Amino acid sequence: MDILGSFALLLALIVAAYAFFAGIAGIFTRRSLLKKSALNAGMAVFFLITVAVGVLEFFFFTDNYSLAYVAEHSNRALPAFYKFAALWAGQEGSLLWWSWLLSAYAFFVLFLNRKKHPELMPYVGVVIAGVQVFFLTLNNFVANAFNVLAAPGANGAMSVVALSDGRGLTPLLQYPEMVIHPPMLYLGYTGFTIPFAFALAALLGRYPGEKWIHITRRWTMIAWCFQTVGIILGAHWAYSMLGWGGYWEWDPVENASLLPWITGTAFLHSVMMQEKRGMMKIWNVWLVFTTFMLCILGTLLTRSGIVNSVHAFAQSSIGGWFVGFLAIILVVCFLAYWKNRDYLRGDNQLDSLVSRESSFLFNNLILLAACFAVLWGTLFPVLSEWVVGSKVSVGAPFFNQVNVPIALFLLFLTGVGPLLAWRKTSTDALKRNFAWPAGLSLVAGVVGFALGFRQFYALVCLILSVFVVLTIFLEFFRGARVIAARESTNLLTAVGSLTMRNTRRYGGYVVHLGMVMIFIGIAGQAFNKDVRAELNIGQTMKIGPYTLLCQNFDEIANNNYQSSRATLEVFRDGKSQMMLFPQRRFFPASGETETIVATRSSPLRDLYVVYAGRSPQDGHPVIHAYLNPLVKWIWFGGLVVVLGTLLALLPNRRAAIVRSSVRERAWDGTVVAEAAPAQVAVTRGASHD
Amino acid sequence: MIRRGALGVCAILAAFGFACASTPARQLNEAQAARAKSLGLKVKCMCGGCNDPAGACFHSGGAFSGPCDMALSEIKLIDDRVAKGESDDAILKDFVAQYGPTVLVDPPKAGFDLTAWIVPVLVPLVGLFGVWEVARRWRQKHPAAAAASANASGISPEIIARVQHDIERDEP
Repeated sequence: MDILGSFALLLALIVAAYAFFAGIAGIFTRRSLLKKSALNAGMAVFFLITVAVGVLEFFFFTDNYSLAYVAEHSNRALPAFYKFAALWAGQEGSLLWWSWLLSAYAFFVLFLNRKKHPELMPYVGVVIAGVQVFFLTLNNFVANAFNVLAAPGANGAMSVVALSDGRGLTPLLQYPEMVIHPPMLYLGYTGFTIPFAFALAALLGRYPGEKWIHITRRWTMIAWCFQTVGIILGAHWAYSMLGWGGYWEWDPVENASLLPWITGTAFLHSVMMQEKRGMMKIWNVWLVFTTFMLCILGTLLTRSGIVNSVHAFAQSSIGGWFVGFLAIILVVCFLAYWKNRDYLRGDNQLDSLVSRESSFLFNNLILLAACFAVLWGTLFPVLSEWVVGSKVSVGAPFFNQVNVPIALFLLFLTGVGPLLAWRKTSTDALKRNFAWPAGLSLVAGVVGFALGFRQFYALVCLILSVFVVLTIFLEFFRGARVIAARESTNLLTAVGSLTMRNTRRYGGYVVHLGMVMIFIGIAGQAFNKDVRAELNIGQTMKIGPYTLLCQNFDEIANNNYQSSRATLEVFRDGKSQMMLFPQRRFFPASGETETIVATRSSPLRDLYVVYAGRSPQDGHPVIHAYLNPLVKWIWFGGLVVVLGTLLALLPNRRAAIVRSSVRERAWDGTVVAEAAPAQVAVTRGASHD
Repeated sequence: MIRRGALGVCAILAAFGFACASTPARQLNEAQAARAKSLGLKVKCMCGGCNDPAGACFHSGGAFSGPCDMALSEIKLIDDRVAKGESDDAILKDFVAQYGPTVLVDPPKAGFDLTAWIVPVLVPLVGLFGVWEVARRWRQKHPAAAAASANASGISPEIIARVQHDIERDEP
């Protein structure tokens, strides 16, 4: 069976290589049959890698431990749910998973556009196939998930052996979110290949106009959305599993996921400049290139062991391959740009410095500054060691100090941008748009200060958050009021109608609203509290308004783990609120322990309780309780961001004017009903403004 | 010569640290405790098994989710020296002398490592200048282009201004 997986993987590489070279040959010879054959080969890769993935999953689900990868990352006691997720638990499997997701994207892109853009698609096919060849080379020759376990037999010859049981999945990955988080993140990483392929293809093929942007806009938004979900789920997993009370540690692997997300965000904004005004063509192409290269750089950083990371898959010798690939991409992108730079000449004119265009320029600058700061902090230990010979640490305080002011300025621009008009904003319009939001947000700041918001950044965040929310509501309100008056409908219906007429714009505002919620949640961190105490049965500890009474400690066991559990009753103002059961699970297969945090979560605060285990000093059980304000806003904010993105992906519904009255006639021609001229909403294609 | 001297200092500090770790911690007043807590978050736990600050060492995946012996000895050393009235700088310098600059959670603000702090501020400033310059150039292009197109089409500047005003009103 493993032969089938290996064969499918090797065949996938050969077919991808064919798609690459046949595509190039087709472009140069202009033979349409060759081009079509290359594109079909590009689609076939998906089915071949699907076979390989299917075979590997078959080994996991049938507990066949003759494959080294399966033996390393699964065991018989592992629930089926996690056997599926064990596929991406290690280097080999996660790279195979990457290839499969990339091939799935490639399949859909090539299939959906098979009868469109005949001049562009052969180039797109070649670029995607080139990326696939790289990853499939790794899958086949560098990190092969189908390597079998072998041992010398009685006659000295090597033969395949199967272990009776595997080492099991890392306990940290045995959490429901781990079944969703990595695929989401990988869907983000691999998804950015599509806009990259279209940008490079448009440049190489000198494809006219902004067509490539129209084609890839949705693909970019999809990749960005997956990346967002992946990042948020990763943060939630860290919060729920690691038991340190936080959700973001600025670990290199976390940073690696953030870098392409930031440049992707910059692209989603700056692309509007090109669509509406024909500006920033060079910038947009390079933003897409940079986003893709950051996906590869992030993978290089985290898998090569260049930088220290708490993530298990970080240490390997695969880095050199990524360095080579990154160098090739950089050279290809630069040569393509240099050779075709005249094609990217834009109509860069700025009517006024107080305009939507300017706000996008600053938005891009700030996003890129944030991206640079994160990259710089991640790489600085390596740079310092290289220059002065001694390694330094760059921890969370550095990233917070550098990035918080940048993020707050970005939040400010999130509020300002939508209030500025394209081309030019008059002073009157500025006063009219800014007066209420600015005034009310300052009032909110004063109230916040009076209520105890004394931490500077938290207070600024509160003021700016109120400002952005008000500007967003104002945007919805103004538009909806006009529609409500025109269509004689209520305001809520008008908001729905307004949103559906320009889903991209109003979906974007919903995304902004979600980001504000995330900012509010992060600002709550300034007021975190924690108490650690030895707590025996019958003893209590206090944190904030809560009192925790220890009622019991017991042991639970199943085939997969043994769990030590604390039973705590939560009191507030003398009244019992609920029971919490923080646990520590020991996994015999791997010999590791994991923390299961117990949380009492509300929009205002999380009571987050960790059973730390028995103190090594005196053997008493230790409870670590945290009071984390506003954390829930981050998770809800993430959900709102996703909903906003999905809304922005919907096609517009446009109002069409019915110019003459509509008469409904009976079979004999007599008028039985008559409607006055009105605006009727109709769904029209995929047009976005 | 310098290296030999540094080794000597390290040996003395290590002996001092061990002595501190094996004696009971001094009582700290509220201000001292806050200082000690803050210092505990500025130095890393040097056990080699985690990347946590000593003051927030929790050893995920370990048998006990709390400060390990190494972190405890570092915290105790800090407590004792804070109780003696030593300055933050002096305490951190001795940690650096013992373990190297990697013991600090953040890069030192001196020497080459100062660039870690300066560059992320400098780059946005340079970028800001760049954006300003680009915006200025694009803005300079505008009147000439507008005039040229107006002349070419024979449309008066008033009408162009009115159309622009309409565009602004339609697309807020």
